[in-house]
Amino acid sequence: MSASASYLARRAVQKERVRILYRKALKDTLNWAVHRHLFYEDASILREKFEANKHLEDPETIDRMIAVGEATYDKWRHPDPYIVPWAPGGSKFTRNPTPPPGIEIVYDYGKEDND
Amino acid sequence: MASALRAAVLRYIRVPVAQTLALNGSKLSLFNTVRSMSAHGDDHLDKEEVIERVLDVVKCFPKVDPSKVTPDVHFQKDLGLDSLDNVEIVMALEEEFKLEIPDKEADKIDSCHLAIEYIYSHPMAG
Repeated sequence: MSASASYLARRAVQKERVRILYRKALKDTLNWAVHRHLFYEDASILREKFEANKHLEDPETIDRMIAVGEATYDKWRHPDPYIVPWAPGGSKFTRNPTPPPGIEIVYDYGKEDND
Repeated sequence: MASALRAAVLRYIRVPVAQTLALNGSKLSLFNTVRSMSAHGDDHLDKEEVIERVLDVVKCFPKVDPSKVTPDVHFQKDLGLDSLDNVEIVMALEEEFKLEIPDKEADKIDSCHLAIEYIYSHPMAG
């Protein structure tokens, strides 16, 4: 019983690793592709690589394949990936932050009350 | 020479005044709406819009039957997708809303309901 439970736990970990690897690799494919139509082709090639080993059963083999995949991803990682502007490393990170609460900008444009 | 030509041309060119006025008017109305000076964080999406855009993205996914998509649908159980399709949908949602979801959190988004909740509560969703 515990053997099958540990087997299932191991399989769950492997599945998560594969999903995250696929996600990272897919994003990296988008980083390398300068045009959308190029990305679609690269993405389907990537998908085929994952689908090719879909039916593997032996946990050891799967572990090895995942390690190979992660090594390949690491090797081909883009040196200057796209980062959403506000995210750490993005071009707008910590730029023009939200003013602290209680501070308000009044749009009077020179028509203040005391004039 | 050039200045003489310029003067000659300018003497015969008439700019219709009505058009420039209309342009100014539209510019003024643009600035009259309340705009915050901060670039992010305070114009939040409303829930209806989030739901509509999430459903649009899911419906556009090639392997999905658009008639089955509802706000409560589960990607793998109800739409017959596999885990890699799930990853692709989450990435499409990230691009739609200009988000960057950490890998571990993105991995947990497996249904329209969760995606809507996550995006709606995300301060940077745009």
